[in-house]
Formats: sequence, structure tokens, C-alpha cells
Amino acid sequence: MKKALLVLTALMVLGTGLFAAPSELVINSYMSDEAPKQVFATVVAEFQKRNPDIKVTVNTTAHEQFKTLLPSWLTSKQAPDVVTWFAGYRMQAFAEKGLLEPIDTVFPGGSFESEFPSAFKTPSSYNGKIYFMPQSWYWWAVYYNKDVFKKLNLAIPTTQKEFYDVCDKLKAAGIAPIAIGAKDTWTAGGWFDYMDSAVNGGEFHVKLTKGTVAYTDPAVKKTFNYIAEMASKGYFMKNAASYSWQEAANVLFRGEAGMYLMGQFIKDVAPADVKDKIDFFKFPLFEGRKDYAVDTPTDGFMIPKNAKNKENAKKFLAFLATAEAQEMFCKPLGRLAANKKVAVPNEEAKRGLDMVLGAKTAMQFYDRDAPEEMAAKGMNAIVDIIGTPAQLDSILTALDKERVRIYAAQ
Amino acid sequence: MKTKISKTSLLPWMFLALPLTMYLIWVILPVFQSMLFSLTSRDTIMYGQKKFIGLGNFIRLFQDSQFHLALYNNLIWLVFFVALPIPLGLGIAMLFNQDYKGARLYKTLFYIPMTLSFAVIGTIWTWIYHPDFGALNTLLRSIGWESAAKQWLGDKRYMTFALVFVGVWRQVPYVMILYLAGLKNIPDELVEASMIDGASWGQRFRHIIIPLLTPATIIAMTISVIDSLRAFDIVYVMTNTKARAAEVLASYMYSSAFHYQDYGYGSAIAVIQFIITFSFIVVYINSTLKNEVQR
Repeated sequence: MKKALLVLTALMVLGTGLFAAPSELVINSYMSDEAPKQVFATVVAEFQKRNPDIKVTVNTTAHEQFKTLLPSWLTSKQAPDVVTWFAGYRMQAFAEKGLLEPIDTVFPGGSFESEFPSAFKTPSSYNGKIYFMPQSWYWWAVYYNKDVFKKLNLAIPTTQKEFYDVCDKLKAAGIAPIAIGAKDTWTAGGWFDYMDSAVNGGEFHVKLTKGTVAYTDPAVKKTFNYIAEMASKGYFMKNAASYSWQEAANVLFRGEAGMYLMGQFIKDVAPADVKDKIDFFKFPLFEGRKDYAVDTPTDGFMIPKNAKNKENAKKFLAFLATAEAQEMFCKPLGRLAANKKVAVPNEEAKRGLDMVLGAKTAMQFYDRDAPEEMAAKGMNAIVDIIGTPAQLDSILTALDKERVRIYAAQ
Repeated sequence: MKTKISKTSLLPWMFLALPLTMYLIWVILPVFQSMLFSLTSRDTIMYGQKKFIGLGNFIRLFQDSQFHLALYNNLIWLVFFVALPIPLGLGIAMLFNQDYKGARLYKTLFYIPMTLSFAVIGTIWTWIYHPDFGALNTLLRSIGWESAAKQWLGDKRYMTFALVFVGVWRQVPYVMILYLAGLKNIPDELVEASMIDGASWGQRFRHIIIPLLTPATIIAMTISVIDSLRAFDIVYVMTNTKARAAEVLASYMYSSAFHYQDYGYGSAIAVIQFIITFSFIVVYINSTLKNEVQR
């Protein structure tokens, strides 16, 4: 018994020694797709090279699981030092609960504005303090297969009528007009953002995601009517609910579908020989509107309040904020860097940026602007509407009941 | 003499002390904790803002259409889990209880689904069910039944049945094994005596085999009922974590608690599920105890 106790004490002493000794930095990341994962690794390697005394560990978790696990990491006493996350409401919800460390002092130029456009400050702050370090951002648009459009002699549609026309022609040629991988329900969230802002304007949609407009409102119903109409006309690919977003992307890459409303990251999963055959255009204008809105999700980093190695975490964030580190990440991926000193990586990104700058409203994304539960239930509803458009009314009534409850609990 | 008695009665408790303590800490205590949590508001557990709201979560449950759907789907699971695996398992067990060439091989083949984890089974069946290139629809199309080739896991109308079928597919071999063991326990003399008395196969099955298999039937029935009530893995894997129309109690509990961080509400669902399952367990324990006493 005495011996056992002795061994135990020895182990405990050894244990605490192990945990205390070297300077560590633990990063939990959701960049699980191959391309961003590799690029992020090179950025981390560069930081490691400059700070050889810090032992950096990167834990990568698949996107959806990451979202489920993050609250438990943030509340845990063993919180990671740095986590990847989204700007806007989803970050602010954690800041409000006091789970994040303010990072006002980390910016290499002395202030947030010295590195980033001031428009990024609001979605990066809560109650006057900055909690979020933006890294990259991208746009959502209608991606299309250039070969298919060329073969059928289709022009880029800019209005609803032209859009429906293109869909009809694609359908007549035996090609699915619109690919959608609705097994990942967030793909339907993009449709909601773009259709609602196209029909009712971006400001209206922002109000809706803030919970002040009913889902049974006639204006919202008009939006869903368009989606239901497109579904009834067979514009969305068949069996969409059985395809993941990548599987549906392959349908587009193979030319079996003509268009796909997707984020710029669709390029991350395109095979090399297809990359140049895929291009994008702005979501068409509906209802005679002239102004438009875009989804511009901003990805970045936060430091949990319970982080063990806050000094190292701040050092890392200071490095990530530099133009050099941001370019290292954004250039290979063709994304837009948050740091304003970084040049636009390529011609395509230039067009993406112009599209964003011309927009009246910039949104993050449905599941980033609305509470997670609301967005999850909303996206389920949209998938159901695409599958059974006839049940539109009952689906919306049930959804609005949820809205009332969810926002009351926030 | 006195010390000896207390020693022998103490010994089993000494062996049991550790597992009992663990059971208490990790099974019994959390059950009561969940009951307590079910009376609290969202954010209570995760963010330490404890707020008791009485039966608020349960009142919400009774008005929640998704919860009604989950209950209804669990009922479908339960009906099918009792109606199909028990007769099928018994039939297959009867078939394999005779000694003939290959019987053992067939038994093993039938048993294989049992050895796979639910995650593996779910992934395999997701491919089988794929509407465009899955094995099932390819088969249906090849025999000209194009109209029967549905979107099994995407269409609200078929989701639950498609999932229940997979559950049943895995449950049948389990029941088969239970019955095989039961059949081995039937004394040969009884069967032989009935043959000498001139009983037909049907009479023998009805009056000798079925009654003697009662203990196995009770076990098979209870396990199937409990398995149907705790259906989760298959639903979770095969609907890509978004159960939607195929929602069952366990999946709704999981998404409420862990996706939406509403631990109070998730706990309330867990409590309901516990009450339903527990009442079946009580019936089971009662009948097994009765059997033990009879012997």
C-alpha cells in the first residue's frame, strides 16, 4: 500500500511537471477540407519557425462536429488557446456569456483599423471590445459550368425571367438546372439568404434573421413561394436531399447540372482539370429590384477566456493579423484577406470583391446571423419545401412557432 | 463461529463494493441529475446560470409537434421491432436448429450483421438506399419497377420506414441467437415422447416448443422493445445528423441538448424516454422473477 502511494505521488509530481514545463499553444481548428487544412499548416509552421520555444498543437475537427463541440470547449477549464470561428452573431453570443478573451491589444499596427477595414469592426466586437480576429472572407454566388453554358449557348441571367429561361433550356437539354446538396441542409440556407434579399431586399432579411419578422409574413411567404415554384418546376436537381454538398458539386463538375448556389470554397474541392471550367455570376434580381445583397462569411480566430496560454495565443493572433500571414493563407485558396494591405489574389477574387462592394447589404450567412437553433430549423424547413412544395403553409406555420419561442429564450 | 458467518456474508459485498459504487456514480446519480436538469431553463448547465422553471420544459414538450413526431416514430419502431424480428428470428432459429451440412455456415452468415457497429451499418445502408446509384433502386429499376425506386432517405414519407428496416435487419440475428439457445434447452425426451404419442409437427410446435421457449420469447421481446426505444445511431448516421421527418426521442434529445445547448429541454425528453423504457423494464423484471420463483 505504501509503495502504491509512493508511485502515485511520483506520477502526480511528474505529471504536473510535464504540464507546466514547456510553453504550449493549442489551436482547435475546423479547417478539415484538404486545401485549407494544408495552407493553415504552412502558416502555423511559419509561426513555429519564428517561435521555436513554443510547442504548437493543431487539433482539426470536422466542421459540423466542431460547431457542436465548441460550447463545451469554451466552458471547460481545459479550454484550447485559440479556436477558429465566425464573425458576427455567433461570436457575439459567446462574448455575451463571458467566454471570450478581449484581443484589443494584439493588433500589430496598434489598432484594429490599422490592419482591417473599419466595416469589419462591428462583426468582430461585442460591447465595445474586440473578441474576433478576422482572417479571410469569401462570397457566395451562382457557380456555373462554363462548358454547359457554351454548348447550349446560354447567356448569364441577370433577372428572374432570364434565370427561369436558362433553367427551362437546361431542363429541356436533360441537364439538371440547379445542383444542391441538401443532405447538408446549410446549402438550402444560401438559397434562403439570396432569395429573400432578392425578393424583399437585404435590410428586410437582416430583420428576419434578428427575429423581428414572422416567417408567416406575406413578404416572407413570397420568398418561399419562389423557392416552392422553382421546386415544382423541377429546377432543382432530383433527389437533392440525398446528396452532400461535395457530391452535388461533382454533379456540376461533370456537367450533369448547370448551376450551383455556393460559397467560393467550391473551388477547394474542384479537381484541377475542372477548376477553370467553373465560374460564377451574381444572383439574379427579382421583382424588378436594382439593389442586391451578398453573403460574405468571415472566418477568423478567438481566444477562450479559459485558455491556458493566453500570452502565446495573443502572440499567434498578432502574427495571423499581419498582411504577410494573411496573404500566405488567402493567396493559395483564392480567398479575400481581411487585412486591407493584402493584394487581391487573382482576377476572379477581384470580380468577387467588386460584386461585394456593389452590394447594398452584406450578410454573414443564415446560420451565422440567426441563432443556431433557428437556422437549423429554418434550413430543415427549406429542404422540406424543396421536397414537398405543396406543404408550404403548414411548414411555415410550424417554423414561426419556433421563431417566437427561440427568440424569446435568447 | 459468529465471525465466520459475518465474514461469508460480507465477502460478496466486498467484491461488489467497487462495481456498485461505480454504478451508483455513473448510472444512478446521472439519472437523478437529468431529472433535476429537466426542471431548469436553457443555458443552465453549460453556462452555470441555474434557473428552475418547474414543469416548463414538459409543458413545452406537450405542445411541440416535433416531439409528437418523435413519439409517433418511436411507436413505429416499437411495433415493427416486436412484429418482425421475433417471428423471423424464431423461424430462422428453427431452420438452423437441425443438423445438416452447412447449417453452421448459414448461422454465422446470419449473425454477421450483429458484429458490425451501427455507424458501419448506417453508412453501408446509406449507400444501398442512394436514390440514383444505390443497390436497392438499381435492383428495382433492373426488374422494371421504376416507380418503386424512391428517395428513401430524403423523402419525408419513407425515411422512418427505411431506417426501421435497417434496425430490423440487425435485430433478427440477435433474436435468432436467443431462440437457438432456447431450443437447445428443450429436452429431447419431451420431443421424442410427443413423436411416439403421434403428435403432428404443428401440434408439437404449438404445445411443446412454443411454451418451452417462453423465457426466450420474453427476453427477445423485452430487448427488442428497449432497442426500439433507444433507436439513435442509425437515425443519426443515416440522416446526416439532421433527423427531420425521421426524428425519434433519442435524436431529438441529442440535438436539443448538444446542438442547440438547451440542456433543460434535452433532459426533459430524456426523462420521458426513461419513464417509457423503465415501465417496460419493470414488466420484464417482474416476469423473469416470477419464472425464477416457479423453478
